[in-house]
This record gives sequence, structure tokens and C-alpha cells, in this order.
Amino acid sequence: MRKSKALSALTFLALGLALLGLSNFVDELRVYQGAQIGVYIIAISSIILLTGYSGQISLGHGALMAIGGYSAVLSFTYWHLPVLLAFTVGALSSALAGFILGMAAARLSGPYLAGTTLALAVGLPSLANQFHILGGEQGLSFDIGEAPKWIADKTVGEFTQYKWFFWITVLCTLVTMWFIKNLLQSRYGRTWKAVRGNPSAAALSGINVGRSKVLAFTVSSALAGLAGALLAMLLGLVAPMAFTLTLSFTIVTGAVLAGVTNLAGSIVGALVLVVIPELTDAVATHLGGSQKITANLPGLITSVLLILTVIFAPNGPQLHKRMRASKKESSNTIK
Amino acid sequence: MLILDTLLIGLSSGAIYALMALALVLVWRSTRVVNFAQAGQAILSTYIGYEVMNRTHSYWISIPFAIIAGGAIAAFIDAVIMRALAKRSHKGSVAEIAPVIATLGMLGLIRSLTGAIWGNEYLQYTSPVSGKGYLIGGHTIPFSPQNTVIVVGALLVMGVFAVIFKFTNLGLALRAASFQPEISRLAGIRVDRIRTIGWAFAGSAGAVAGALVTPTSYLSPNSLDLLLVSGFVAAVIGGLDSLIGAVLGGLILGVGFAFILQYIGTSVTFSAAFIILIVVLFVRPRGILGSKVGRRDA
Amino acid sequence: MLVHRSTKRGVFAATIAAVAALAVSALPAQAFTPHSEIGVTANTIKLGITVPLTGSAAPGYNKVPYAMKAYFDYVNDNGGVNGRKISLVIKDDAYSPILAKSVTNDLILKDKVFALVGTLGTANNEATTKFVNDKGVPRLFVNTGYSGFANAKKYPSTYALFPSYYMEAKVMGSFLAEKYAGHKVALLYQDDDFGLDALAGFGQAGTSFVAKIPYASGSQVDPTVIGKWITSIVASGADTVVVFGVSTATAAALGGAYKAGLAGKIQWILGSVGADPTTIKTLAPTALPLLNGAIAASFLPSASDANDEYVKQFAEINAKYNKGATLDNNVLVGMNAGMLTVQALRAAGTNLTRAKLMAAIESQGSKFASAGFAPLGWSKTSHVGYNGYWFGKLGADGSQTPLDGAGKYVLYTTDSSSGAVAKATIARPAMPAKGLPTN
Repeated sequence: MRKSKALSALTFLALGLALLGLSNFVDELRVYQGAQIGVYIIAISSIILLTGYSGQISLGHGALMAIGGYSAVLSFTYWHLPVLLAFTVGALSSALAGFILGMAAARLSGPYLAGTTLALAVGLPSLANQFHILGGEQGLSFDIGEAPKWIADKTVGEFTQYKWFFWITVLCTLVTMWFIKNLLQSRYGRTWKAVRGNPSAAALSGINVGRSKVLAFTVSSALAGLAGALLAMLLGLVAPMAFTLTLSFTIVTGAVLAGVTNLAGSIVGALVLVVIPELTDAVATHLGGSQKITANLPGLITSVLLILTVIFAPNGPQLHKRMRASKKESSNTIK
Repeated sequence: MLILDTLLIGLSSGAIYALMALALVLVWRSTRVVNFAQAGQAILSTYIGYEVMNRTHSYWISIPFAIIAGGAIAAFIDAVIMRALAKRSHKGSVAEIAPVIATLGMLGLIRSLTGAIWGNEYLQYTSPVSGKGYLIGGHTIPFSPQNTVIVVGALLVMGVFAVIFKFTNLGLALRAASFQPEISRLAGIRVDRIRTIGWAFAGSAGAVAGALVTPTSYLSPNSLDLLLVSGFVAAVIGGLDSLIGAVLGGLILGVGFAFILQYIGTSVTFSAAFIILIVVLFVRPRGILGSKVGRRDA
Repeated sequence: MLVHRSTKRGVFAATIAAVAALAVSALPAQAFTPHSEIGVTANTIKLGITVPLTGSAAPGYNKVPYAMKAYFDYVNDNGGVNGRKISLVIKDDAYSPILAKSVTNDLILKDKVFALVGTLGTANNEATTKFVNDKGVPRLFVNTGYSGFANAKKYPSTYALFPSYYMEAKVMGSFLAEKYAGHKVALLYQDDDFGLDALAGFGQAGTSFVAKIPYASGSQVDPTVIGKWITSIVASGADTVVVFGVSTATAAALGGAYKAGLAGKIQWILGSVGADPTTIKTLAPTALPLLNGAIAASFLPSASDANDEYVKQFAEINAKYNKGATLDNNVLVGMNAGMLTVQALRAAGTNLTRAKLMAAIESQGSKFASAGFAPLGWSKTSHVGYNGYWFGKLGADGSQTPLDGAGKYVLYTTDSSSGAVAKATIARPAMPAKGLPTN
């Protein structure tokens, strides 16, 4: 067990170094998109953790991302915290909000929870217009500055701000994935799976179902908060329009497309979300379609994919296969 | 005077929320699905009404077309997508939320589709009825003939549903199919078909809401987005199960919003919706008129 | 055991996926251009613009980029600029600072434009400033009157064109003191740097309001929000209302006032941003009786003034190149910015670079021909464009005529600080023959 942990830690480290190294050789646009993918990976993981592992749904994670984003920006601007510490503040604020929300959520079944979080997603960002410190519709600007000289001097090529964003995002994403992976292998992770699989049986075997769900909601919210803070960094500002209902829907879509019960799938989901608009854009430019069609094509494709996935592989392609495989295995044994 | 004015503003928007809530309740009752695509379906049917109006130059002729379109869209969604879903994904960790996700997908699909067909411009779907408030004792009240049309139209729809559910065989079958699907099936009711009819009714109610409210503003792919949330909150306040509850929930929410807007601020409205929802769910989880079994997990 | 194996497999899958992601991202974004300056080749110049084509601010503004493009097409058909044809990449930002940021990213990194032209919106341009500055991309003739953009230190590559909202408010303050002394005036304004700039200007002018009604950008499409404006106006007892918002907000305010039976009871005074009669008429047909007699500030000639040499020429180009778009203030704004851009590009010379373009505007820009009634102020030290407004009365047909009724324009000029408001007459360069600059 310890050996495999060390191995996977090495895998993560190697992956991180490879990514950082590669960032020196690709186009700045791709570096930026790479950072976007990182943000989506964290956001989608937060949904996968919540839905896939703990059986709860949230259509309001955009609002939790907003809490993370605004807290990070405010603590950075007014307390002059270092960036990574500001991100931590963002994640913790969001976790606190998630804890409170989770208390309510643990008492609600699927559709009710979906609707309640939906109301949150619509209501919360517009609060920025009510309090002047939040900068209204225009938002607050967030400039974390350039990479420190000792890093910038040691790499190939110009160290643009986007490259610096990418480095920070890669670091955060890998740490997050490492954290979730270990969390899922821990007692808590096993508890969640037990609750998801059969809540009544879990309760009988002494698991506090409610507490387990609240914990999952809290952790998931912290991740959403971190994603929100990173998104604010990428955008250079926080504003209500950054955290629309569409964002909440988008990350749920990403999670479902990824196969909602498979953490590693978050990478696929994030990739799909960034690549589809890029592809449709390329196709549309090539075909010279009208503006109203090109603008709506990505939404059209992702929606269709979402519907097809939920009908034909609702638990994600991986689990689907695994379930089929285990069925075959068990029928073999009977023979 | 301001209090009375605010009450009138709330009444008119409340009537629309009530229609949307009614639509959600109809779908919930017939298939145990909260239909998040409802606002999208209403937009699509309103666009169809808009096209009819452009051709016939009559708002009044366009309304029945919108209603039929709304019913047909809903029936299509249920028959094609929701049935496939029910057959394929009734177990697994996401079985409970699969319908929610599917309806969200429908919402996204309809939005992109309307955007691709009609563009994202603001179109005018105008009513021949004046939007100018009635003049009473030298004071123009914020309630116009168009508001009257909205309230009367909403009442008509509710009346029709009340009659269908109380006095017809179809109503009886709808109620039976939603509460005891197995027994209904044994009793010879074609449950699938009855459920689709439930969806169609809901789609029509949403279409009426869209056709009535759009003349007070503009028509765009997102113009009914806020109804999505208000409709849900109203339905929950009313108890998700009860048609009368939905109507009451809509009116309470409409009037509540109007007062918050007038006396607190324009940007807190939807946060208020969230808080109202949480309070209702905690204080009276089955809503005003909801049945006892409900929303909490076992 | 099963858990263990599946996570291991998960990590493996993750690694594969990440490598695949990188393989995709390692592809070059666009072919390399064989010229020393980004966005310029031997026979093309690529420009970019961000505007709301969708959403609450789109009506009216969505015509600006197509008018600009129409003008460029006209110039291209007549030989282009120093042998190069201009192409314009149009991006929709839905009037959202967030979207503006992401589409500007695309314009600069993916489309690799030479310069940005006429990018619209105060908050939108502010959101993209950091990146535009970092990349040194010239941002010409921004479509906003936020006074900050004329600050050459903070926005070194940005060139304001419109007189500032600060100037507009000061000028309007002195106009109100002159013509509406003793009236009860209310102010409706967009609650961001656009409206706040105006608020500061009114403060400088010493204007007092019986009510100040802020609204969040975008909320003007919500009928209940409009209802709140109207009750606030009525409660304040105002007989005169000043609007500093986009045209959709003006349309909403006029429409709401009509429904509340306020037709004929209020004198409307509209800021230049939200005063395009064509847009207002389309959005709120019922508002027409209220629009008739409203007073609007403007720095361009009225689009309905068929005798103006600029309007006449632009109308001709519009008819031929703009797919039947109605000539209105937005079309004028687009064509005017297009013509200034062509002059700036010509002035920058054959060996076109970003630095040369900016230097050309600073040394020769104040002499460029343009439709604006006020002089242009660009220099080595200032990025201020126009500096003044005239006031006109709107007619039911959408025309805007000088207040004295005899067709005599009175220009009010000032600056974006404590300088006085002065009255002036119009002095502008003649329209180049056929609308084709020869500078």
C-alpha cells in the first residue's frame, strides 16, 4: 500500500513537471486554455465528489464558485494576502457556505435539492449589486501580478502572465486531485460510497448518513471555491456575470459527460468543455456559417451529448462497462 | 396608495408564476419529475406564437397556436426522452437525478435552438391590448388592460384544469396514474399515454404563461429564465403536489417579490427567493397544501 | 482490492488523458504571418472589435460594427489603405466584462489582430485593459465616454474618441442651470463607472437632483425594475428626468412612464449614449409620444440631417454596403470611427507597425476629418478625443434639431476636470471627396 502511494505521488509529480515544462513551448493561447481546463477539472471534480460519490446534486455550484472568487479577491485586495493564501481563504469561505447549505441539503431529496441550489445560483451573484464593496455589475479587478523573477529567469522564452496563471493552476489542480484521491481511499470515502450504494444499510451499520452527506457537501464546496478563485485569477476580475446559471449548468454537464462516478473522468469532461467551442468555431469559420448559428452551436452539441449520456450511460461510461463486466463475471461463477 | 400599487404589481406577476408552478406540478404529479426545461418549452412555444402572429397579424389567433405547440413539445419530450430515460436508468447512483439532468439538457437544447433559429435579438410579441394603467380618481394604477388579460387568462387555465381533474374520466385517470401506477395499469389505464397527456397539459399551461407575459417585455431566448426559478419556488411553497397550492404559491411569491423590490432593493429579489424557499422547506416541508409524503429522504 | 485497482487505473487514465490534452494543445494556434508586425501582411490589415451583439444592451449597438465594416469594405473596393485591405473581426461580448475579456483574448491570441477599434462599453474596456496594455495592442476610438480612458499613463495604447461622460454631465449641468432653473430634476443612471463618471461631473457642475436612481446594467429588461423607477420618479415629484443609460434603458423608462400615464408630464433629457431615436422607437413603440420633445445631447450630427455632408456621404455608403440597415446614430458612429481608423492607418505609413500607428494619431490625429462637431484633442500628452456636445430636440419622426429651431448648432465644450463650460460654434474639416481620406 505504501509503495503504491509513493508511486502515484511520483506519477503526479512527473505529470506536473511535464506540464510545466511543456508550457514553455506552446502558444500563449494554448497555455491559457490549459489553465481553463485546470479550473474546469477542479470544478467538475467537486461535482463528481458530490454527485458521484455522495449521491447529492447541486445546480448552484456557480454560486459557491462566486463565494470563493469574491473572498479570494477581497482578501487579496484588502488584507494583501499572498495569492495562494487568498485562494485558501476563497476555498474556506466556500466550504463554510457549503457546510450551511449542506445541512439543508442533507434533508432534501434530489429534485428539491436541485431546485433549491438553482435558486441559489440565480440569487447569490446578483447580491453584488446590493453591496458596494462587491463592485456591482462591473465587478472587482484582480491582478495577481507577474511570476517572480527567480522562476521567470530559469525558463525558456518569455514568461507571460498567462503562463504564470497556468503554472499556478497546474499546481492547484494536482494538489486537489491528490487530495481527493486520498480522501476517497480514506474512511470518509468508503463511508460515502456505502451511503450512496444503500443509505438504509449504511445507517444500520452505524454510519451517520446525514453527517456523511454534509461533509461531502462541505468538501465539494471548498473545491468549487478554489475553482472560483482560480477563475477570477484567469479573468482578471470577479463580477456577477462570471458566475451565471450557465456556469453552474456547464460544470454539471462536464461532470455527467465525464461519467459522474469517475474522478479521473473530470479531465475528459474539462477537455470536452474547452474543445467543443474551439472545434465548432473552427468548423464555423471554415464553413462561414451565420453568427447566430456559430454562437449557439457549442450549446447545441453539449446539450445533445448531455441528453444522450444521461439516457445511455447515466453512471458514466466507465462504471457502465465495469457493471457489465462484473455481471458477466458473476454469471460465469454460477456456471 | 403605494402599498395598494405594489399589491397590484405583485398580483399580475403572481398570476404568471402560478401558471408556471401549475405546469411544474402537473409534470411532477404525472411522472415524479421536476421539469427544469419548463421555461425553455414556454419560450419555444412563444416563438411559435410570434411566428403565427407575424403571419396572421393577430395576437389572439397566435395564442391557441402557442398553446397547441406547447402541448406538442411537452408530449414529444416525454414520449421520446423521458420514457427512454425511465426504461434505461432506473437504478445506479444517479437514477434519482438523471431526470433532472435530462430536463436541464432539454433546457440547454431549446435555448441554443431558439438562438440559432431566431437569433438573440429582442423581438416584439405585442398584444393589441393597452399596457397603460387604468386611471382611477386621477391616479394611474400599475394595472393595465394587458394585466387584466394576464390575470383572466391565468384564471381560465386554472378553471379548465379544475374541471378536467374534478369532473372527467381523463382527470380521474391522470390522478390514478400518478398515485398508483401499478394498480392503474391493472385497471386498464394506459399509464404511459396518460402521463404524456399530463406533460402536454403542463406544456400548454407554460405556453399560456409565455404568450401572456411576453407582451409586457421582449422576446429573446433567455427572456423567461427568471420564471424557471420563480415557478419552482412557487410550486414548492404550494406543496409541489397540489394544483391549488401552486396557484396560491405563485400569488404569494408574486406579491412578496413586489414588496421586496419596492421596499428593500431590486438586486435582492432572487436571493430572497432562495431564502423563502429554505424557510418553507424547513418550517413546512410539505408546503401549504402538499401531501404528507414528500421531499425528505427516508 | 477492487477499489485499489480501480484508482490505480484511474491515475493511469488521468495521465493518458492529460498527455492527450497536451498533445492537442501543443498544436500551433495559427500559421505564422510573414510580416514583422502582428496582424499585417503585404496586402491585409486585420482589426478587431468587441460589441454587444446579444443581450440587454445589444439593440442599436449591434449595428455599429457592421457599419464600420461597411465603410472598410467601401475603402477596400477603392484601393484599400496603402495597398492593403482592411478586415474586421467582430466579436460579441453581450455587454459583459467577463465575456469581453475572453473574446479579447481570442482577438489578440487567436485571430492575432493588429489593433482593436471601437471596442464598446466602459466596464468592458476596463476589464480588458491589463491584457491590452501587456500586449501593447493599440485600442483606437473606444466606444465609451468614460473619462479615465483619456489617461495616457494608465491606458497608454487606448485612444478615447467620445467626449467624456464627465464632460457631458458638466455641460448638461450648465445647460440645466441655464434653461431649467427651478425645475425638479431626477437622474436615472447605470450603476457602474459609466454612470459614476457622470455623477462626478454633475457634482463638479453643482447640479442638484430630487432623486438619483441607480440601476444595475442589464436589469432594465425586468418590468418590475422599470416599475420601481417610475414609482421613484413619481414619488420624487420630478418634472424633468435626466437619463444616463443605454438605449434599452431609455426605451424602458419611456415605455414605463407611458404605462404610468406620465406622457406630457415630464421633460426628458437624454445623455448621448441612450438617445438613438431609431433604437428607442423599435424597442418601445408606445414610447413615441414621450420621445417627441425630449432633449438629447450629441456630438455628431443627427442621422436625419440629410444636408450634412458627412451624413449624406455615409448614407450613400450605407445604402450600398450595409445590407439595407437603417441609417441611425449607431451607423454614423461606426462609419465615423471607420473613417478615423483609415486616416490613422494612412498616416502611419507603408511600413505599418503598432508603434507607428500610435505615433501617427498623436502627431496628426487632431487634423483628421470626422463628422464630430467638436475638435479632436489627441497629442503626445493627451488621449482625449472630442470635447463638446450640442443639445437638440427630438421629433416624433426621430429627427434631432437644434433647440433654437433655426438650425443653428450651439456647441458646449469643456474638459474632464474643473475647467469652465464654454459655448462655441462648429469648426470641422470638410468631408474628403467621396468619403475617401487622402491624408
